[in-house]
Amino acid sequence: MILFLVIGATWALLYVPQDYQQGLTNRILYVHVPVASLSLSFFPLMAVAGTITLVWKMKLADMVVKVAAPLGAWFTALALASGSIWGVDTWGTWWIWDGRLTSLLLQFFLLLGIISLRSALEDSDAAARACALLSIVGCINVVVIKYSVDWWNTLHQPGTTFGMTSDQPNGPEFWIPLLIMGIAVALFFAVSLILATRNEILERERRSQWVQELVQE
Amino acid sequence: MIEAIQFSSFSEFIEMGGYAFNVWSVYGMFTVFLLANLLVPMRRNKQIIRDIKRRNLLNAEINSGSTSNNLIADNSGADGEGQ
Repeated sequence: MILFLVIGATWALLYVPQDYQQGLTNRILYVHVPVASLSLSFFPLMAVAGTITLVWKMKLADMVVKVAAPLGAWFTALALASGSIWGVDTWGTWWIWDGRLTSLLLQFFLLLGIISLRSALEDSDAAARACALLSIVGCINVVVIKYSVDWWNTLHQPGTTFGMTSDQPNGPEFWIPLLIMGIAVALFFAVSLILATRNEILERERRSQWVQELVQE
Repeated sequence: MIEAIQFSSFSEFIEMGGYAFNVWSVYGMFTVFLLANLLVPMRRNKQIIRDIKRRNLLNAEINSGSTSNNLIADNSGADGEGQ
């Protein structure tokens, strides 16, 4: 993960050519795009884990739903903030109520809602069920975010096609560092989710035999 | 495929073609985002293990002093498995 991050960030910052319109602000793409695209994977992930919670009452699945929500909020917040800072000079505005921007903001508030719903409900089983249900419903918004740029032609540009050779637009000198950063952010996503889940397991199972044995080592 | 370095001097690199604020604030936030979601859970892990150990020590002391059992026993997280 660190290797991919270092290579990806160095390449993006130092070696990527300027965009002919945007100048060097195109460096923001290498943070914004991986973070924003991965932020869309949280609701599907939480919905799958939530379904497992509802159907099989598996505790680990509920732990994943719980720890994914704040991490997803971080991803969504960074996607919004980096997009905003990018937009202020390239679009000339921090914020407008564009389809993609609004639906991503809605995702941020949905995640905050799931976090506060869990802390508001005292019965942990009821909280698990409610959060699982909200995660499944929240997936509808992911579809809206994904296709918002095609449905409403307001400000955020649709997805870009990549060129396979250097003489085509958006050739490999642009997308290979993006691919590396994408892998780096995806690995970071996995590592931080696992770290947070490990803590959640330890806390919930702290009285169990195996945690006691682990602690004694 | 790999182009040459786009900057001829370090100060030019910092200036980012006039977009220093935009580029560096995004990369700054990215760094905070990475560190927060790696270092905080790692520290929390150590803290949890320390807490469990301390609680065990306290319980052991109380039990050996033959006072009432499990005075400060941990009753939260009662859904723990394998008891």
